[in-house]
Amino acid sequence: MTYIATFFTHFGAIEFKRACASRAWEARLSPVPRSLSSSCGTCVIFKTDDVPSPVDATEDTEQIVRDEDGVYTVLYRAEGS
Amino acid sequence: MSFLKNKTDIIVGGLIIGVVAALLVLFGNPANMGFCIACFIRDTAGALGLHRAAAVQYIRPEIIGIILGAFLVALVKKEFAPRGGSAPMTRFTLGFFVMIGCLMFLGCPFRMIVRMGGGDLNALVGLVGFVCGILTGVFFLNKGYSLKRTYSLPKLEGTILPAAVVVLLILLILAPEFIFFSEAGAGPGAKHAAIAISLAAGVIVGAIAQRTRLCMAGGVRDIVLFKDFRLISGFVAILVAALITNLILTAATPGSFFKLGFAEQAVAHTDGLWNSLGMYLVGFGAILLGGCPLRQLVLAGEGNTDSAMAILGLLVGAAFCHNFGLASSAKGPTANGQIAVIIGIVVVFIIAAVNTFGKKADA
Repeated sequence: MTYIATFFTHFGAIEFKRACASRAWEARLSPVPRSLSSSCGTCVIFKTDDVPSPVDATEDTEQIVRDEDGVYTVLYRAEGS
Repeated sequence: MSFLKNKTDIIVGGLIIGVVAALLVLFGNPANMGFCIACFIRDTAGALGLHRAAAVQYIRPEIIGIILGAFLVALVKKEFAPRGGSAPMTRFTLGFFVMIGCLMFLGCPFRMIVRMGGGDLNALVGLVGFVCGILTGVFFLNKGYSLKRTYSLPKLEGTILPAAVVVLLILLILAPEFIFFSEAGAGPGAKHAAIAISLAAGVIVGAIAQRTRLCMAGGVRDIVLFKDFRLISGFVAILVAALITNLILTAATPGSFFKLGFAEQAVAHTDGLWNSLGMYLVGFGAILLGGCPLRQLVLAGEGNTDSAMAILGLLVGAAFCHNFGLASSAKGPTANGQIAVIIGIVVVFIIAAVNTFGKKADA
């Protein structure tokens, strides 16, 4: 399954990608898809058979969504965002 | 055709914007200045009496239109999301120095493209500095630069700037005595298209930029960070459309809209070092802000108050430039402006370093 995590900062995305690597999740940095947000920040697109949960979010994580062919299901959203 | 995947909208949008920018000159804007976010904020600052440079005083409807265009489209698309609280004073300071860089070069990144489309080769020299500034900013991004997160804010917070520009539009139309307007022949401030045309052009650009996330600095940044060519496609499309439109206008009208070379370009100087250093400061500052001046206007229209702070920094920076002789002219840069650009580069480096390495020391 493919997931997308968006962040408040670019460095948050870099840190999350490192965390994905430590979990052996396939991950890459990318501009946030326009269909997901008008923000022009950095996201991490990652694939895993695990189901990401809020505990996987880092301090800078804005949201984590499941991506099913462009249909997004929000799994986590930071408070106050 | 795979190159065009996910880029069609921004290429079409860029082509429209390039044509609109070139046509605004036909309709009365200064040569090679169909659009310039920095110059137009500077003119607006002058109209409000924040500086008294008689040549550059006019409330530019294009700025009003961009903010309102982005605001209205964001409302319709349910993307109006007031937010802020991410280092507002730092963003103000960055906006301030980005304006100093712009007025050293005599244009924002948007005008840099428009100038290239008019044959002004000085803009190519500026582009070199702009790219180097972006690369410097990307270095700090990859090392951990961050101005911390934003927070959701009440709707009113995000609505204040769009409301303020409506007030500016009313002041422009009513033209009360306390608003300053450059007199005919006084300089670039006296050259402008009709209000309705300029406003419509601004709304078109604001709406397109909101939908496509067009950003002059983001294009180079995304190539370096992600090997993503989407945003740069918009940049190139604007250049191509402006160039072709200028060539057509030159052939079809008595006016001259294209002149290839360095010398005697409109509202420009030929000092390559300072054109380049000015745009270096702009590129570096824009990356730390998260976008070029055009992108800041669009984000502010979407309700981002941090971008509104950057715009206030641009406004105050413009006033400083003309009150203290920092802005260049066709004769070249001033000594005060050169000192200000050096100070700006140092300050932006300090901001980058403190927000990159300083937070690690705090942790």
